[in-house]
Amino acid sequence: MNLQNIGCNYLEASARKRLEGILDPGSFRELCPPTEKRISPHLHYFDIPVAFDDGVVTGEGTLDGKTVAVIAQEGRFMGGAIGEVHSAKIVGLLRRCLAKKPDAVLFLFDSGGVRLQEANAGELGVAEIIRAILDVRAAGIRVFGLVGGSCGAYGGAGIITGCCDALAVSEEGRIGVSGPEVIETNMGVEVFDSRDRALVWRTFGGKNRYLQGQVRELVEDSMESFRQAAIRLLSLKPDYSLDQLEAEQKQLEERAEKFAGCRDAVDVWRKLGYPSPENIPSLTVAELKSEGGAK
Amino acid sequence: MTLQELLPKLFPAGNTVTVTDNIVSGEGRTASGAVSVIGTTNGTRLGIRELLALSRLFINVLRNHPGQPILMLVDNNGQKMALEDELLGLNQYIAHLVKLQDLARRNGHQVAALVYGNSIAGGFIAFGLCAGDTYALPDSNTSVMILPAIARVTKLPLEYLEELSKTVSVFAPGVKNFFLTGGLREVWDGNLNDCMDKSFCRDQSADTRDQLGAERGGRPEAAKIIREIMNA
Repeated sequence: MNLQNIGCNYLEASARKRLEGILDPGSFRELCPPTEKRISPHLHYFDIPVAFDDGVVTGEGTLDGKTVAVIAQEGRFMGGAIGEVHSAKIVGLLRRCLAKKPDAVLFLFDSGGVRLQEANAGELGVAEIIRAILDVRAAGIRVFGLVGGSCGAYGGAGIITGCCDALAVSEEGRIGVSGPEVIETNMGVEVFDSRDRALVWRTFGGKNRYLQGQVRELVEDSMESFRQAAIRLLSLKPDYSLDQLEAEQKQLEERAEKFAGCRDAVDVWRKLGYPSPENIPSLTVAELKSEGGAK
Repeated sequence: MTLQELLPKLFPAGNTVTVTDNIVSGEGRTASGAVSVIGTTNGTRLGIRELLALSRLFINVLRNHPGQPILMLVDNNGQKMALEDELLGLNQYIAHLVKLQDLARRNGHQVAALVYGNSIAGGFIAFGLCAGDTYALPDSNTSVMILPAIARVTKLPLEYLEELSKTVSVFAPGVKNFFLTGGLREVWDGNLNDCMDKSFCRDQSADTRDQLGAERGGRPEAAKIIREIMNA
């Protein structure tokens, strides 16, 4: 165990702590900070206390000397849910990139999706964020997602992860559309028990998303692991083209065909050729990668 | 309005649209040429199978009919909420379809979505809100979540939400409420063929929905904050 990383896990850190840990020391500059008090104009109807940053931190900094625009969602405020102000801050930062041309955008996800108290504004906000991300990518600027927060990336946030160039995710960082509770409600608790954390992690968690080819970098839950993975992502070339989307179509068709009928991640991993798929949840990232080499 | 009622109104000169497993595809004839029609019907839920089929249709138009306008006909009851689909990464299948719509627009296709039935939650993002422009018929239904479900999640009494929804548009279901946020360019009424022709003449290069939301009063803050950060 790396002693330096004790007390530095990513999962439980706040959005600002994460940025501090990922970016070059002292390089972060927040845009639209809490002192501007850009609060939700809607939450008062529901008697919900507001946050001066509306649950998202936006700004600029450097990573390994490269300029990056950064977005970090704060899962501690309403589960990082996306409302009007929250999404506007993200869209504003992304549109700013078209003029400032940073080397890349880092999107630190930690969100359960659309904020239901502002459902229409949040839903549209997700669509605007997607459009703005693709504008940035079409301009040749890469957008990378990091998922390792306690709220994961569900609903609209899960869809946005799929619009990034590449992702770095920890095992604890879950990605999905309908969350565990919704699946339980729809399928019955005997099929899917949303309180079974091992089941939730192997279904939505980073390992499954990595093994099925959705995630570029699987990382341990530490600030330094995420920072090093983000630095590695910076070496990727931008590519947003029909050729790339046709390759993605092929990959997604093959996945749908190969794993048709699978109802548990262990079945997926067995079909991938892992001799002891039931052991995968207990492997470290390094062990899993060497296992992958041996299979 | 049903698909069978809608198609002749959109394309009085005729169409070759067919439906297979609730996926709508074909061409419509207009005075200015052929329009690609890609859609769903019967309120089908969008799972991996549907998303892949819709994506294939977009790839076909992008490869074989460069520049042809695309009309998306939207009727879904949301994304499929099934363990099998989530296990395989439904989010990525939705994102893939969304990127194809976006790339079509960038490659010179006009891409307009018309909600003629329902469009709900992840289904609305997957197929509707990521077109170049989004339109709706007056009797269609857009929502993120129905009020009883919002009541359950927010732990607020349903009666309170029902009362509040009469005056506060930002969370309440319905085309009128969504229009106010700026999410719909227009509600199509009257001659649908004219509405469609006009929509295909619009410049779709900029996303101006934040300004529409400010003008209509449904999103009082978004446009201002976007500008502030861009210019900070």
